[in-house]
Amino acid sequence: MRYMNEVLASRELLANLTLREIRGQYKRTIFGQLWSLVNPLATMLVYTIVFAFILRVTPPPGNPSGLNIFAVWLLCGLLPWAFFANVVQQGMGSIISNAGLVQKVYFSRIVLPLSKVGSVGYNWLFEMGVLVVVLALCGSFVWPWIPIVIIVMVLLAIFAAGLSLMLSVANVHFRDTQYFVSILMQIWMYLTPIIYPISLVEDQSKAHGGLFGTSITILDIYRLNPLERFVAVFRQLLYDNTWPNPQDLLLCAIWAFAALTIGLWVFRKSEKGLAEAL
Amino acid sequence: MSDIAVQVDHVSKKFRLYHERNQSIKSAIMRGRRSVHEDFWALKDVSFEVPTGSTFGLIGSNGSGKSTLLKCLAKIYYPEKGTISYQGRIAALLEVGSGFHPELSGRENVFLNGSILGMSKKEVTGKFDEIVDFSGVEQFIDQPVKNYSSGMYVRLGFAIAINVDPDVLVVDEVLSVGDAEFQEKCSQKFVDFKEAGKTVILVSHSMESVREMCDHAAWLSHGELIQVGKADTTIASYLESLHGGAQL
Ligand SMILES: Nc1ncnc2c1ncn2[C@@H]1O[C@H](COP(=O)(O)OP(=O)(O)O)[C@@H](O)[C@H]1O
Ligand SMILES: [Mg+2]
Repeated sequence: MRYMNEVLASRELLANLTLREIRGQYKRTIFGQLWSLVNPLATMLVYTIVFAFILRVTPPPGNPSGLNIFAVWLLCGLLPWAFFANVVQQGMGSIISNAGLVQKVYFSRIVLPLSKVGSVGYNWLFEMGVLVVVLALCGSFVWPWIPIVIIVMVLLAIFAAGLSLMLSVANVHFRDTQYFVSILMQIWMYLTPIIYPISLVEDQSKAHGGLFGTSITILDIYRLNPLERFVAVFRQLLYDNTWPNPQDLLLCAIWAFAALTIGLWVFRKSEKGLAEAL
Repeated sequence: MSDIAVQVDHVSKKFRLYHERNQSIKSAIMRGRRSVHEDFWALKDVSFEVPTGSTFGLIGSNGSGKSTLLKCLAKIYYPEKGTISYQGRIAALLEVGSGFHPELSGRENVFLNGSILGMSKKEVTGKFDEIVDFSGVEQFIDQPVKNYSSGMYVRLGFAIAINVDPDVLVVDEVLSVGDAEFQEKCSQKFVDFKEAGKTVILVSHSMESVREMCDHAAWLSHGELIQVGKADTTIASYLESLHGGAQL
């Protein structure tokens, strides 16, 4: 509880550091904030060409929205993923890249990884805003679902924050962490139904049946991936325009708070030793 | 003078010196549970008290643990043994300008740096003119700080830190940077501080300035406290040991 107070007391610093990231990010660029859209758009273009035109991946149309556009379907999963991946990557390096500060000034160190959640989240908010407009133009009646979308966005941010708290500390002690994690993130992305629908996994799972004589299927294991739930919920809300599966939503919340609890615990335990370990 | 501003009580600080510190998972696994490090005590059982309202100097040769002690005071390091207690707000000036963002303007950096040092936005706004005035970079305050000369960088950083208005100010060897005029300004600021009943703990290699500014001093050698007391006597013993040591 005392720790929470300390973190709360640093919220102004957190806001300032987040602003520093945001303001510094696109300084001296002509297109400024628009650059934050370019990355997801380029990725979207590549994946759409490769997966929709060449490999002919066909996700089921939105039910009940009736939407049937691969690129939009893709973005509903890709934008949350990109946010998550960026928070983890940048949060992980946040303490090392501010080594000078950590070794010279006392402040609540937790604001460093958290400010990355804020600055990446700011870009994400912008991207999601554009996505909502695109969805509306394509005929998705997305407006009533926005409040729940925001709640799920907060849950994903909490989950990402928890992971980057753990990883930022690990990275101070073992610099391998960042290389290891960047490979892991690539694998993780392909293990999450972002560019292909989960129905493809369901088919494979049915074909194989229970594994090793048990009733556990491939799909059961596949769905242990927390990001699978998050992506499913975002798609249900944005693309399908329907209530998310309550079980999925609950699991998202459980994953988020579990990650945050462990992250805070790890961070708090090693916070005092960070300056000399750097 | 009866009040004690800072109490350093049997403080020892240990560093681990690794023989091969490449901070990789591989080396951790290779080491196994047996870790290959030596303990190095940078501070050994140091105790002293700093009276409220005094200017306190820390002297000693390079590597004697002065910076380590200041970092313990500033809560950047945590001592393995002993405790440090103090009254009121403490601010440390270990390196000026750390935390400046090169692309942001001086103005934006004043607010950012102020909040890193623990000031609220209101406080910074209130002291903004004073900070800019003291730093002497008014003309360039809306320029990105990467265009500042290193002297200007230091001036602005120092101006912010000194306006945190702490009860205890901890200063490492940062005074040696900046031109003579600025050093004059800084010395004056320390005098103001003292008059306001605040405590300053500073490290300096210039014995003249310690003698001039400090009323008390402590002498550290290889992590051990050799002598603490009136500045004059401590400096005299320190200097004497240097000359005596050469003959030994
Ligand atoms: N982070 C660290 N890890 C290992 N050794 C350190 C660290 N910081 C300081 N030391 C060691 O502690 C001793 C005291 O250093 P320092 O306090 O910087 O000396 P001074 O400021 O008096 O010149 C030195 O021998 C230095 O090598
Ligand atoms: Mg030093």
